[in-house]
Amino acid sequence: MSGIQWSDGAPIYRQLKERVVAMMLDGVLKPGDALPSVRQVAAEYQLNPITVSRAYQELADEALVEKRRGLGMYVTEEASRKLLSNERERFLKEEWPLVMERIQRLGLSMEDLLKSDAQAPKPGEGA
Amino acid sequence: MNAVASHDTGHDAVVSARELRKAYKSTVALDGTSFEIPPGRIIGLIGPNGAGKTTALKAILGLTPFEGQLKVLGRDPRTQRDELMNDVCFIADVAVLPRWIRVGQAIDFVAGVHPRFDREKCERFLANTKLKKTQRVRELSKGMIVQLHLALVMAIDARLLVLDEPTLGLDILYRKQFYQRLLEDYFDEQKTIIITTHQVEEVEHILTDVMFIRNGRIVLNAAMDEVSERYTEVLVSADRVDAARALKPIDERALPFGKVVMLYDGQQSAGTSQLAALGETRTPGLADLFVALMKGTYA
Repeated sequence: MSGIQWSDGAPIYRQLKERVVAMMLDGVLKPGDALPSVRQVAAEYQLNPITVSRAYQELADEALVEKRRGLGMYVTEEASRKLLSNERERFLKEEWPLVMERIQRLGLSMEDLLKSDAQAPKPGEGA
Repeated sequence: MNAVASHDTGHDAVVSARELRKAYKSTVALDGTSFEIPPGRIIGLIGPNGAGKTTALKAILGLTPFEGQLKVLGRDPRTQRDELMNDVCFIADVAVLPRWIRVGQAIDFVAGVHPRFDREKCERFLANTKLKKTQRVRELSKGMIVQLHLALVMAIDARLLVLDEPTLGLDILYRKQFYQRLLEDYFDEQKTIIITTHQVEEVEHILTDVMFIRNGRIVLNAAMDEVSERYTEVLVSADRVDAARALKPIDERALPFGKVVMLYDGQQSAGTSQLAALGETRTPGLADLFVALMKGTYA
């Protein structure tokens, strides 16, 4: 039913939080959208409500969601901007240096890269 | 939705046990057992067969005599059992619903004897199942009997719910549904649930606290967060095994291709900073931890 496998590496509340963040980045959850209640998430994923509350609390601490009294948690207006700038920074710091290193190792020029980009199927087309 | 709320309902423990002792003819079921259970928790009471789990539950429910001090919701289950039963519900693995009773009669009965039973709630729960009021218990499958039982119990506004192997013998769909209903329709921060089960993996993430019991003694009593902080499992490659053993793991088990999984107790071995140098680290599953701590039980 839930089809979720939790890994043993990180605390579950953090894994749950990452999952919500991923849904925000993918646009599944947009600013102003309500998060499902703690109770619903606990039941659906078979987690104790304290774990779910903790994940929500961290999202709230980072201002990605806000609590509206009596209504529940909502994605904030600035959530996508915040996440995007976080993700951009992480990409430039962690992923890009590795990609760069590989490009250099393979001796690819800027021209090669742009040419292959023009030939490659646009996202959404292939596959 | 407000499960974040603090425990401002006071420090009154739901169950407070001191030096419980109970011996059957040849075995000691409770051997100086002490523990406290605060409100708003889901506690897993886990132990091998014959460890004393059911005896502990029976003591809490006032179903067996014992020595020692025990308060459940501030009452002594030996002398104030009737009052206590207004606030406590129980589902045992042995079906206790009479086989001749009809679903509708069972509802009428509980409505008649229990002041806190909410008939509408119960009927709402049953509306989501295939049960019909005219059916007799003997016509129901084991899974359906548990559905009926759960609907009856969840419609009672009790503060303590005791579940003794509630999903024993149920198929995976009924088992999953059982815990789903419990979390969605019943549990909140004023309620407390005690579960005994052998299906450790199934309840592992639902629990807020775990108690391991062995030979009538509590060998581990901790919040799940504490468990993941205290115990670490390391995947050690063959050339590091000696170094890993020097840090005194509490258990080790060999995997194919020469790797060894070592389990460390942060209270007994060196700091976890050293462990990361030995190999990949992770939090052990409750089942593996249980096996490690219970080694030698049947030997």
